[in-house]
Amino acid sequence: MVRGSFFKRNKDKKDKKQEKTNNEQENFSIEIGKDLEKNLDNIRKMLDKPNDLIIREFTIRHSDHKGALVFIDGLVDKDVINNRILLRLQRVNERRDLPSSDSKLFDIIYREIISVSDIQRSKTLDDVSNAILYGGTAFYLDGIDDVLIMDTKGWESRSIEEPMTEPVIRGPREGFVENLRTNMVLIRRHIQDPNLRFKTHQIGRRSKRNLVVTYIDGITHPDLLKEINRRLKTIDMDDAPESGYIEQWIEDSFLSPFPQFLNTERPDRVAFSLLEGKVAILLDGTPFVLIAPISIGNALQSPEDYYERWTIGTLLRSLRYLAAFIAIFAPALYIALVSFHQGMIPSKLAFSIAATRDGVPFPAFVEAFLMGVTMELLREAGARLPKTIGQTIGIVGGLVIGDAAVQAGVVSPIMVIVVALTAIASFSLPAYSVAISFRLIRFGFMFAAAIFGLYGIIIAYIMVNIHIVNLKSIGVPYSAPFAPSFFSDWKDLVLRAPIQVLTKRPTYLKTTDPESANKGGQKT
Amino acid sequence: MKWFEYGDEKISEREIMIAIPSMVIGVGILSLPRGVAAATTGSDGWITVLVSGIVIIFLTWMTAKLASSFPNKSFLSYSTLIVTKPIAVILTFLFAVTSLMITAYEVREISDIAKQYLFDRTPVAVIALSFLLVVVYAVSGSRAGIFRLNMMFLPIILFITLSVFVFNLGWFKLSNLMPFFQTSFTGYAKGISTGITSYMGFGIILFYVSLVEKPEKTPKYAVMGMCIPVVAYILLFVTCIGVFGHSVASNLLFPTIELAKEVDIPGGFFERFESVFFVIWIMAIFNTTVMAFDVAVLALSSIFKNRAKMTLMLFLTPLVYAVAMYPEDLTEVDTFGKIIGYITAFVTISITVLLTVIAKLRRVRQVD
Repeated sequence: MVRGSFFKRNKDKKDKKQEKTNNEQENFSIEIGKDLEKNLDNIRKMLDKPNDLIIREFTIRHSDHKGALVFIDGLVDKDVINNRILLRLQRVNERRDLPSSDSKLFDIIYREIISVSDIQRSKTLDDVSNAILYGGTAFYLDGIDDVLIMDTKGWESRSIEEPMTEPVIRGPREGFVENLRTNMVLIRRHIQDPNLRFKTHQIGRRSKRNLVVTYIDGITHPDLLKEINRRLKTIDMDDAPESGYIEQWIEDSFLSPFPQFLNTERPDRVAFSLLEGKVAILLDGTPFVLIAPISIGNALQSPEDYYERWTIGTLLRSLRYLAAFIAIFAPALYIALVSFHQGMIPSKLAFSIAATRDGVPFPAFVEAFLMGVTMELLREAGARLPKTIGQTIGIVGGLVIGDAAVQAGVVSPIMVIVVALTAIASFSLPAYSVAISFRLIRFGFMFAAAIFGLYGIIIAYIMVNIHIVNLKSIGVPYSAPFAPSFFSDWKDLVLRAPIQVLTKRPTYLKTTDPESANKGGQKT
Repeated sequence: MKWFEYGDEKISEREIMIAIPSMVIGVGILSLPRGVAAATTGSDGWITVLVSGIVIIFLTWMTAKLASSFPNKSFLSYSTLIVTKPIAVILTFLFAVTSLMITAYEVREISDIAKQYLFDRTPVAVIALSFLLVVVYAVSGSRAGIFRLNMMFLPIILFITLSVFVFNLGWFKLSNLMPFFQTSFTGYAKGISTGITSYMGFGIILFYVSLVEKPEKTPKYAVMGMCIPVVAYILLFVTCIGVFGHSVASNLLFPTIELAKEVDIPGGFFERFESVFFVIWIMAIFNTTVMAFDVAVLALSSIFKNRAKMTLMLFLTPLVYAVAMYPEDLTEVDTFGKIIGYITAFVTISITVLLTVIAKLRRVRQVD
């Protein structure tokens, strides 16, 4: 996007009233001039004199040069401004005489006097406004058409806590926060590799938000990076308040029910993915980091699989595949068996199901659909309510409604079991975004089962498979490494082979450095 | 590079290895034991299945050899080199027509079996339409996607085949296999011809090898792929005879599905294993149908170059549906299947042999 388009857009507006107010705003110029008063006026007018805009005008020590500091209260660390900048510029008993020429003085201030580590010169008002809105401080000197921009960020932010959405039993307890810098530090602390790269993009027409693409040079396939950067450059919207906006803008297929990015709050998960050859996208202002490209197998993996011993890791993985199966198919199978293929149920069980369904007035599909929707409502209500009340919903919903519904003969007890099992199974999936899409396609399967029974289920299953094999995440097949099959990746799919055996990075990512470990260990 | 390319229209020779059994295993195996058992006595059928298998493996090798000696060339363009352009167009068209007929037959057969084993009230026309639409959905996606589907489904199909075999071992009676080697020569010949028609489908190599990136090793992989259905057929045939005995097996409509009926899952989780078997088998039939339809589309779009794939499919789908709905009852469907089997066998084998011989005689080579 074009620098300064912010101003242009205002000009385009035809509306007369709008024009009047704009005219007032347009009394400032984008250029930075030599006159200090005019420059400060420009800034004031541009931001329309908010009362948190602080402009501190002063005289440089031992001289009659006028200068000014501009920053926004609350976004900056006042200590830094007072002690490192203001004090050094004003204090009279400093040893050295300052030159009288404007440009030389400016140079000396830049090189010697101000002791802030991150400082740069700039010439445009756009730079200044972007900087001060992101916690920077601008220094103007009268007679100079340059500005010094110093990094003085210091706002309130949440401290590092355990991630709320992905708790683990074993593993690091830290999670990402809203601050981009802190998040980068968290990743750096996990991977101390000089090849770890952070590439910054600025996102947003109005709000300029920093977005960082992270990868490890020498592992990630260069074309993958090129493609991600290309897509990020196409983003053109007012603001991206959450990484979900980024995800939706650059994903391969917006019609798909499956997420093509994984989001996580866990630095260890990001670090692991980077070492696999994937790319992470961090956005300022959100603790959720995107990981791409992913495949269907990643959806059922948790970092914890690797922390536990391999037998346990494998067991947990297979359990999750079972959970995914139940979460998608259980209600559909119930509908198909009860309304089409009663003969497939063992006769004793068939009798007891028939007996319990005796008073139920609805067909199996309506029954399952009712209970399914109730379950979704309960879950939604539980997520919205304050934590202390949230538990009440569980009790009211689960016990009271479930029991009462059975007593009233609205649903059969078997149905309640099926729905409860489905809910538990979908809760046990490690990635929330995947669990949601499974919830979504479950209803599709229920419809298919209601119309065609088992045949409908298999037809729906085939359709989901057709969709998955044609789906891509940043150009990488979503069905990899099942198909296209990379057999060497299979030992880290449903199985989680012993750590000594997992010597290769995923082949389907076409990493430039395929080995990740040496089978024999280090020679001693 | 615009995308992070994964060579979507290119496949590896391993995918050819998977595609062949996926194509061959379809509705044929469901009724194969009946046809073979009717022609032979005792358990001699396995010899005919094996011999026809070996013949087919040889033909597969020949086909793959022929196609892979013209790397990255479509069937139309290399057959143009061997025989002239008009004949090549006719041959391609013949292939397209047989492939479409296979598609129609599979669609019809699956609907009939589904009606027999899964529903009793749903009309065949509705089942066929829903299945055909899913096939169209698959074909309208990328071609690499079809090969990935094969890879996703084939392991499940082989697993269910194996479990039918394992769970039936308890019912297996050696006395049912008797007597050995009592079949007359004409019996063998008839059995082999039935066997050969049930192995049809390797003709897809002629078209798909052009998508393989490095086709030198394709013949080897194609032969390996062809071995899978041969082993599966022999296994299922012997189990059928061993469990049912010769006379029952030769009179059952779908002996393989009936075989699944015998399965009793330990623990009694569910009954009527044949429904599960058939439901899984739908995937096998689906793969066959998709590839047959895709080859037809591929062949026709090589003739009509400036027609979009979607336009072709829009035209072909109602045609396939109409052909599938044409036979009146099960007997007609069976006859229809037999005719198609013989036509396909004739077309595939004669074209392969013809092209190979002419190519050898005229010393046609890949010109670079």
